[in-house]
Amino acid sequence: MSEKQLSAVEAELYDRQIRLWGIESQERLRAANILLIGVRGLGSEIAKNILLSGINSLVILDDGVVTEEEQHKNFLLNRDSIGKKIAEEVLIKAQALNPLVKISADTSNPVKKDTKFFESFTIIIATGIKSDLLLRIDKICRASKVKLICGDVFGTFGYSVSDFLDHEYFEDQLKLVAKKRTHDGIEEKPEKETVKVRSEIVYPELNKVIILPNTKQSVEPIKKVKRRNEYFFLMLTLLEFRDREGRNPDVSHKEKDVNLLKEIKKEILTLYNVDEKKLNDDLFNIVFGEVVPVCAVVGGVIAQEVIKGVSQKEAPINNVFLFDPLTYCGKEETVA
Amino acid sequence: MVNSIPYSIDASAREAIPTSKVLVVGAGGIGCEILKNLSLSGFRDIEIIDLDTIDVSNLNRQFLFRKEHVGKPKAVVARESILVHNPDVKIKAYHDSVLSSDYGVNFFKKFNIVLNALDNRTARNHVNRMCLAADVPLIESGTSGYSGQVELIKKGATQCYECLPKPPQKSFPGCTIRNTPSEPVHCIVWAKHLFNQLFGEDDPDQDVSPDTEDPEAKLDGQNSVTESGNIKRVSTKQWAQDIQYDAEKLFNKFFNDDIKYLLSMENLWKKRTPPKPLSWEQAVKVVGAKDENDETSVRAVDMEVWSISKCTKVFAESISQLRNDLEGKTFLVWDKDDKPAMDFVTACANVRANIFSIQQKSRFQIKSIAGNIIPAIATANAMIAGLVVLYAFRILAEKVQQCPSIYLRQKSVHSKFVLAADRQLTKANPNCYVCSAKPFVNVFVNVNKMTVKEFETELLKKHLNMVAPDVVLDAKGVMVISSEEGETEANNDKVLSDLGIVDGSILKCDDFLQNYELTVAINQYEAVEKDDPFFKVVANPDELKAKESNTKENGVSDHKEPESEDDDLLVLDDIVEDPQEGSSSKKRKLNTDSDDDIVEVPL
Ligand SMILES: [Zn+2]
Repeated sequence: MSEKQLSAVEAELYDRQIRLWGIESQERLRAANILLIGVRGLGSEIAKNILLSGINSLVILDDGVVTEEEQHKNFLLNRDSIGKKIAEEVLIKAQALNPLVKISADTSNPVKKDTKFFESFTIIIATGIKSDLLLRIDKICRASKVKLICGDVFGTFGYSVSDFLDHEYFEDQLKLVAKKRTHDGIEEKPEKETVKVRSEIVYPELNKVIILPNTKQSVEPIKKVKRRNEYFFLMLTLLEFRDREGRNPDVSHKEKDVNLLKEIKKEILTLYNVDEKKLNDDLFNIVFGEVVPVCAVVGGVIAQEVIKGVSQKEAPINNVFLFDPLTYCGKEETVA
Repeated sequence: MVNSIPYSIDASAREAIPTSKVLVVGAGGIGCEILKNLSLSGFRDIEIIDLDTIDVSNLNRQFLFRKEHVGKPKAVVARESILVHNPDVKIKAYHDSVLSSDYGVNFFKKFNIVLNALDNRTARNHVNRMCLAADVPLIESGTSGYSGQVELIKKGATQCYECLPKPPQKSFPGCTIRNTPSEPVHCIVWAKHLFNQLFGEDDPDQDVSPDTEDPEAKLDGQNSVTESGNIKRVSTKQWAQDIQYDAEKLFNKFFNDDIKYLLSMENLWKKRTPPKPLSWEQAVKVVGAKDENDETSVRAVDMEVWSISKCTKVFAESISQLRNDLEGKTFLVWDKDDKPAMDFVTACANVRANIFSIQQKSRFQIKSIAGNIIPAIATANAMIAGLVVLYAFRILAEKVQQCPSIYLRQKSVHSKFVLAADRQLTKANPNCYVCSAKPFVNVFVNVNKMTVKEFETELLKKHLNMVAPDVVLDAKGVMVISSEEGETEANNDKVLSDLGIVDGSILKCDDFLQNYELTVAINQYEAVEKDDPFFKVVANPDELKAKESNTKENGVSDHKEPESEDDDLLVLDDIVEDPQEGSSSKKRKLNTDSDDDIVEVPL
């Protein structure tokens, strides 16, 4: 019996999800080796969801140290973890979520990781990293056929961007099928039958999606879209802020950060030739910290995309997801 | 001390969080996620109530529980799990039913907000009424597979959970189950009934033998089958015990003799494919190509459709096991997670399907249908619970208008939306028999046939969801039903008219626990056809006017009343649960941006 087959224990544990996505999807998940970069508010939510789904292995890469603030908003950390390495500290609780998954911690700086490190995964999830590193990882992923999804939560705003390469996927559709009875060949009334329908999405490289003032990429191809979701520009503004400051906006210097955000916003909207009014400056008051329930929503979305990316079941988001910080709606935005 | 209240939310919510008292009803998939979000967002005073204990199949999403917790109460373990992360939260756990009289209106009034994370309609209806009575905002939520929804219920501002009629329970006419199955589900229901006939509690509504009363079997008023032809034994269970549960004899009776009898009801087969009786001797020979597959492989046991010979083997094995299980007990209760019980139903449903030329199903598929399993995943629960707590912030900030219903939908190429909100709050139904100022319904019953007990159990409790009603006949002040024990027991077996309840009578029905008073107008109604419902309830007077205009002589229209529950119909499960982490089954059109290309995708 090949190891690819599900055991009775797994079938019982994953019963309620196998009934949704089928045993083949579960077997694909079971073979997936995943890298998660960053296990803070959002990262911990993603980790929880994908561990529960029953993957083969998870590497958690984070060089941070647990602060009191981080412990408060991260369910995988207990109080005695404060002051220690975050990647190592989340291990115990992460493992308890699903003892069947092989989990390991890596406390090195993601920037220092070589090409080889990234090549061995089925899919990579990146949170909290700067855009140059993200684009570098995407290049490696493309060369070695590794899927990639990145995302962040800034206050009540959140997003994800996927690069699932040339992604083939299947959907179940109910169709009426005419049947002939086996024993006498008489035509029976048509029966509903589930048929697998194959589709494909070709994802653009991330350097054609995330174009910031200094990326030296032409924005022309993605500029033409008339009704670009305004939160796409909010996402770019926040990424550019992180690139410049090496950190996320921080309430302890709120005024300074809001001013810088306004400046960056102007640059970006000019670059894309979009009216300044498209993005309201008031939004910059609610981009501080990671609001836990927003991490739960965006972490749920990203984990579900990872599951789709791995299992090749159901249509994934193509290619940007934007969580509206005011209405709490969540929409797909196709860029490039 | 670092403050864990999120900065980027409404300032008044930030102020309210540390002193707010929150009740979470249900510690399942959504409940676990809500508790985590509350505790991580700085809530300090939480109460959680759940009646359930932990099952292995919960562990793929109810992340506060682990394998070693299986069998323990969800509420208690969830509390402990939260306290490990944050020992400073005051959290009280009740391993109890929220329907209990211990949780009255005053209990609900203690809370600033109530968050529902339930899996059944009965409890949802009840909490809805309690929150209306206590005037506490309620956030209702549910998921089913990839979809889900969040809905605010606030007295005077929104509709309540019971404003719109819910679709009735899935049920099938008795004669379809007993005589003329045409879909796999009919065979599965029959197989569950057979289980109960052989091992379960006696239930006359779950007869499995041919139904000679089938109106279709009669022709031009002539009874083609004589009454004496009804092959009904004193008790199927007694007979099975007398033959020591001999698998071969049992098989031949249900799959050969009974089928031959059905064939003799010729009218049934004029336009249908007649069934083919199958004897044990024949059945064991119908071997399948994959029978030799590894018995331990999940795919072989659960995913493949068994051959008929495999069915006979499993039939015999499961009967022998169940017979052992029955030893020393009066009856067994069917449970989808009990291996021999599930094996028995799979084998019987497939043999019957084969006889009636109906598609056979795998054990896995039959379990879904027989056990009413709603698929559930961690990600959908996480998203919905996140939105629930984001709405809780807004309600504490008194921004109720900013909480229209939000829907989570499976992503498709036809829609950009993953999460879509209504444009505004949904207004209450002015004729709602729960949340309107003077709740009122018209009830159609046969006052000469329905007993007081039936009125209480079937109509007031099961249909109108009361817990402990007191009923007074308005004009005469006669106490018909009392929630106090021993006061009106003498009325139980009397029919309504014995107590002076006739067409036009007005009953005042009062549920003290729910603080709910309902006026019931009695309309005399007699069922004519076999499939006519036992009673009807009409809440909307417009609907009633429409009915009156096309009323037949007996005072009953032939207009189909969607909310009625057919007494003559067999229900798939005693309680048809709402979705696992339960979403209300309401289907509403989504208000979406005009530039969006939302297309209805046919299933
Ligand atoms: Zn209502």
